[in-house]
Amino acid sequence: MSSRTEPGWRRAWRQSSPHRAGYAFILPVLVLFLLFRVWPAIDGLLLSFQDYRMRGGTTWIGFTNFQDLWHDKIFWGSLRVTLTYALISVPLATITAVGMALLIDRAIRGISIYRAIYFLPYITSFVMVSVIWSWIYRTNDGLLNGLLGTIGIGPIPWLTDERYVLPSLAIMSVWKGVGYSMMILLAGLRAIPDSLSEASAVDGATGAQTFWRITLPLLKPVLFFVVVIETIGSFQVFDAVYVMTGGGPIRASYSLVYMLYDESFKFQNYGYAAAIGVVLFLMTFCVTMIQRLMFGKGEA
Amino acid sequence: MSAVAMPETGHAEANAGPRSTGPMSMTKRVLLYTALTALAAVMAMPFVAMLLMAFRPTGVSSLWDIFFSTSFTLDNIRSNLRNDSMIRWFLNSTVYAVVSVVLVLFLSSLAGYAFAKKRFFARDKIFWLFIAMLVVPAQVSIIPLFILIVKMDGANTYWGLILPTVANAQGVFLMRQYIMGIPDDLIEAAKLDGASEFRVFWQIILPLTIPVQATLGIFVFLWHWNDFLWPLIVAQESAMQTLTVGLATMQSLVPSTNSMMAAAAISFLPSLVIFILCQRFIVQSIASSGIKG
Repeated sequence: MSSRTEPGWRRAWRQSSPHRAGYAFILPVLVLFLLFRVWPAIDGLLLSFQDYRMRGGTTWIGFTNFQDLWHDKIFWGSLRVTLTYALISVPLATITAVGMALLIDRAIRGISIYRAIYFLPYITSFVMVSVIWSWIYRTNDGLLNGLLGTIGIGPIPWLTDERYVLPSLAIMSVWKGVGYSMMILLAGLRAIPDSLSEASAVDGATGAQTFWRITLPLLKPVLFFVVVIETIGSFQVFDAVYVMTGGGPIRASYSLVYMLYDESFKFQNYGYAAAIGVVLFLMTFCVTMIQRLMFGKGEA
Repeated sequence: MSAVAMPETGHAEANAGPRSTGPMSMTKRVLLYTALTALAAVMAMPFVAMLLMAFRPTGVSSLWDIFFSTSFTLDNIRSNLRNDSMIRWFLNSTVYAVVSVVLVLFLSSLAGYAFAKKRFFARDKIFWLFIAMLVVPAQVSIIPLFILIVKMDGANTYWGLILPTVANAQGVFLMRQYIMGIPDDLIEAAKLDGASEFRVFWQIILPLTIPVQATLGIFVFLWHWNDFLWPLIVAQESAMQTLTVGLATMQSLVPSTNSMMAAAAISFLPSLVIFILCQRFIVQSIASSGIKG
């Protein structure tokens, strides 16, 4: 096409080569992202103000879903379950990860093999882990009660007693996930200059004093990052509940995401389930913002 | 990289690795190795038990027999491999994971290159949108996404399963950060030689990003291979289910523990192979970027 017959806007477009290439390169991912990530998130918010039927359409009902949630004992129960689970699993995971990071932060023969073994459960699926641990936790012929039986303990109803089910799930998820937090904390430990702990040792501090006064304060941002990641993860507990307990016994492990799944895909209360999603988002958002305000650097 | 800001641990590399504790006394060394080994035994126990159980004949259930009996069988593995559903689920998971890896790598590096090296209107605002969405848990948008896919006739199809998962914000972020470190001179030189925009990307940028492609590829594979909630709701027909969903279904039918452990072991095999081959990669990239599913 000759430039004489070319309209002005088209010439501008042709000459804007860098712009054009930029847009062309981000276009595929941007379209998919807007369609399958951004729009469903907005739609999720809208849906929480609707009564939606797959065949039958949409009725706007204002805050009715949220009012119903407020009066729904099952919802408060699932919130309690989720927060209790977080309260058990987050400290357990964090303390275990710190201990393991300290243990493997050494240059000795074979350490990379130990590290690999500790990390291995992290790459598994929660479904597979739940399958194995369902057997481990079984009351009558489970592996754990078998082991404990040899020293005269039990049998303990790990998954079938209201009091034990959340700690049992938490222990399993710590086993599965601790390798990740351990690696993050290990990177944090290595970022602390050796000279600091050496200086404190020269000043006559014991190992424990050095840990509490030097290492831990310097590790605080990384530690907080781990706590936040673990907290957000624990808010979303679902796979293990689905495979191992189905929310039971008597809703003692009926978590928020499990209720969201139940309400939407079992009872087709899509609007009501979306309202649960909004609650989950607000919980996650608060935790993220606290971390951002305390330690954020503006990136990511 | 995840929803929350990863604190700076970048000095880790410069600081020359683990603490050298100097010469250690013999007692200290023995204690240390005892602790390390005891912990390794605890961490490895569920895997070991799974494997042993998978190779024991049905009915073996006493601790002694599981760990020390000499009876050994391939029946559990064999019956799982003869199960057509199992083969189908394995195939579905492979398609889900492998196609996603290819698409995520291509789309993310293309966009990451543009965000890192191109100037265009609203570039930083669009990039910010990708990052901002990381704080929205996937569970929040999963119901509208499901409704959308059903309306598009994508339920129980491969594209309905895969396409919604390939616009990966973490991938775009990771690629952008890496490509920002590539000198502009290389790109300019190629352009002076008359290379087209896409050719610069294909022949200059892609080869230089192979290390980060490998890292991202491994993680995307694991995320998809292990994914559960999305495949569970979008592929409800047995023939379209993935291995995680199939395993959960099998478990609900209460088969023999031996057969179940064999199925679990089969589902873990691909991840294990990747881990053994790429262990160093995986561990390093977590330490330096905090990448997480």
